[in-house]
Amino acid sequence: MVVKEGEATCLPLCSRPTVPGVISERACAYYGARWVLAPIPDAVHLVHGPVGCAYYGRTVRRKNYRLFSTDLSERDIVFGAGEKLYRAILETCALVPGARAVLVYATCAVGIIGEDLPGICRSAAKVVGRPVVPVNAPGFCASNQAAGHDIAARLLLEHFIGNGGGEPVENGVNLLGEFDVQGDLGEIEALLGEMGLKVICAFSGRASIAAMAQAHRARLNIVHCRRTGHLLAEGMREKFGIPYVKVSFYGLEETAAALRAISRFYSLAIAGEVVARGLRAAREKARPFLARLRGKRVGLFFGGSRMGAMAKAFRELGMEVVLAGSQFGCREDYEEAGHKVADGTVLVDDAHDRELLEFVACSQPHLWVGGTKEKFLVQKLGVPFLVFPQESAPFAGFKGFVNLARQAAGLVSAPVWRLAAGGF
Amino acid sequence: MQLKEIPLEGIPYDRLRIEKVPAAPAYQPRDPDLVPAANRAVVVNPDRICMPIGAMWAVLGVHRAIPFVQGAQGCTTYARYTFCRIFKEPATIATASFHEDAAVYGGRRNLVEGIRNLVVRYWPEVIGVVTTCSSEIMGDDIASFLKEARARLRAEIGPEKAEQIVMVQINTPSFAGSHVEGYDRAAKTFLQALAVKRDAPGNRVNIIPGLLYPGDIREIKHILQAMGVEATILFDISDTLDAPLEPPQRIPYYPPGGTRLAEIREMGNACATVALQADAGGSGAVYLERKFGIPAVMGPTPVGVAATDALLRHLSRFTGRDIPEELRAERGRLLDAMADALHHTMMKRVAIFGDPDIVAGVTRFTCELGMTPVAVAAGTPSRRFPQEVEAVFAEYRDLFLDAPKVFNGGDLFEFEEYLKTLPRLDLIIGNSKGVDIARELEVPLVRVGFPIYDRFGYQKRPIVGYRGAELLLYEIVNALLDYRYPDDRTQQL
Repeated sequence: MVVKEGEATCLPLCSRPTVPGVISERACAYYGARWVLAPIPDAVHLVHGPVGCAYYGRTVRRKNYRLFSTDLSERDIVFGAGEKLYRAILETCALVPGARAVLVYATCAVGIIGEDLPGICRSAAKVVGRPVVPVNAPGFCASNQAAGHDIAARLLLEHFIGNGGGEPVENGVNLLGEFDVQGDLGEIEALLGEMGLKVICAFSGRASIAAMAQAHRARLNIVHCRRTGHLLAEGMREKFGIPYVKVSFYGLEETAAALRAISRFYSLAIAGEVVARGLRAAREKARPFLARLRGKRVGLFFGGSRMGAMAKAFRELGMEVVLAGSQFGCREDYEEAGHKVADGTVLVDDAHDRELLEFVACSQPHLWVGGTKEKFLVQKLGVPFLVFPQESAPFAGFKGFVNLARQAAGLVSAPVWRLAAGGF
Repeated sequence: MQLKEIPLEGIPYDRLRIEKVPAAPAYQPRDPDLVPAANRAVVVNPDRICMPIGAMWAVLGVHRAIPFVQGAQGCTTYARYTFCRIFKEPATIATASFHEDAAVYGGRRNLVEGIRNLVVRYWPEVIGVVTTCSSEIMGDDIASFLKEARARLRAEIGPEKAEQIVMVQINTPSFAGSHVEGYDRAAKTFLQALAVKRDAPGNRVNIIPGLLYPGDIREIKHILQAMGVEATILFDISDTLDAPLEPPQRIPYYPPGGTRLAEIREMGNACATVALQADAGGSGAVYLERKFGIPAVMGPTPVGVAATDALLRHLSRFTGRDIPEELRAERGRLLDAMADALHHTMMKRVAIFGDPDIVAGVTRFTCELGMTPVAVAAGTPSRRFPQEVEAVFAEYRDLFLDAPKVFNGGDLFEFEEYLKTLPRLDLIIGNSKGVDIARELEVPLVRVGFPIYDRFGYQKRPIVGYRGAELLLYEIVNALLDYRYPDDRTQQL
């Protein structure tokens, strides 16, 4: 944890294992792999492990997905479950004959008993006649879910991206690290559309295997979330020579900067117009909410990369960001965040439950932004809570900024907090 | 349901068709050999979770207790998400944060350091150490690790404080059972570790509620209070997972309530134990019976008239208390509502799924309502479940033309495929995992059991007791009405 002071800010230690015994907000590598891979609609997802992991893995970003599992029992653990997995892959393909591929997730149990996942997948692939890809991300294999993101990105690169052939699409772009939470992707796509650009594949908010096969035809990769998109971007640059830009579509200035950066790449003249129009409309619509937010303190604690951009967006709302932190942000994320927050803001990595609680109690923020797990605890202290990734409307783009303003203003000024604070 | 497409008058209801919007694109017929779960190696949409989460649920029902999960971070985080989504409450669960080194060298360091880190940050009274698949496969010797952890605590915080912290080891290898069994094991191990017999049995009754919601436990407390029965509820989540908003709070935050340690110790001196769910908590009752000779009653989950009657009779028999007028009136009001709603409920064909005890209880109640269960499915396989529902079917034989189908274990895929073969189905009763099935079959879903995360407030609303049954009845009738008569103007009750 560090406090920002001037430009020579040091950064919090990050990418370190969590201390045992705390109520960590981090998750496991399997969770990270599901986070990236779950939305792929035309693959079947098979979890090799006890049934619990399959049950939990069904829900990603509050959406439910169909999941298959080998439901390992005591007997399988003792005698090995390779044969069962092989049968399960065949049966899965028989049940979903239209599936273009099978993704087989390893879990802790499988990691420890040491199954030959790649071998079984290879031999099953020959029979079912489509790729059977092991996702070797057992929960314990890293200190947080980011490792799962990386494993997922590598396997997408290796097995699915750019299999389709075809010529480059001149106005084609890919979005990397965009998961289409509550319509975010639609907002971004509309903005890019206004500039004449077409999204070929969004990893992985709209990443069917068919779309991924075409992804190499893009001329530019737009990285929206660094932690889930960076590796893909690097890989695609190496493999297909596609350049990438790291941008954010959260907040007005960030969105404007993103559109300008993209238009610079394409030498488009239209960006200025799109940006001006979007800014004007958004400022107009957000104005009524800003009065309620001005000078209010807000704390941000997210999964990975978005704290910097979001901190800036909240500052644009006229709020004072007291803390920006993440569960598993990397050095670059904290560097970026360091530039985007004001002096005195606390930057923190992998804060656990107790630390967050302590901080909320000390800093008395007017709003806290983070994940569902923290929501109910922070609310118990009488502090309004905004869930991000968001729950009900897009936050990306110019229109999304208005939604953000609206929701933040609604939460901060909700009567319930006054009623609760008043006591009897 | 698309209201605007329904003509308002002139067409009799039986000729109204609501246009089908398929939930899944391109439905393909299934290979019939692969439909029964028993024929498959693969499980599709399981309706059970793993053992550790059941044990965590239990520990969260103890006053100032924190579960410590000996596994990877996901084992804790996923469970915390699940609890948060259902109860809308914070779930304080510690993780041992297994990383690769733990997988190689075992979890000794994680547990010993973890207990120390947890204690100095939270000062819990009880730590429930919950194991996972990884620690069980590696063969962590939890008992000796805990000794070491205790020694470390003694050195760091002094022997006096260290001795006050109770640590209970709950072995829950995920692959050996479901959340139901996890809860069951927690009940047994807590009693093994803590319950003592001092003198002659008193007049208190032990209640082990099983996987019931805060609203249900409140209803049980209401019944106990009305009868004047003093009772200990083991794993009382009614306050810990339904806490009021009363800022400011002390830090570290602990919710109010939960079963107190002293009460659990006293459970060895009770006059009887009632496990409301035989599969979830029944082992605890059996342990007390074998060890201390405390008579045990297992189930049935008190949903509906007969099952609640049975609970009241047991309580009356053990304590000598009469069944008060208040409860008799509640029973009468329930029966009155059942009679009033009869033309909506009778002969409705219903499918029920969920945890075995809940399904058995709801099945009996639907029969009492004159409905016809056509398929019942327990997500967790249970030895008692088939006998229990078969007994209900035998008792209400005249409701059935064909024998209802009973699934014990299996998955929701198998259940769904079976329901598709039925000529008619009016209602599904089950948890939120049935949403897809209900959409696909165009049948209303009444949400009951664990988990319910897509509707608000269901965790606070009881289904047990006479009043709970009445609430469930409303829910059933209104679901049928909403679905059959989507335009309210044409339907007056």
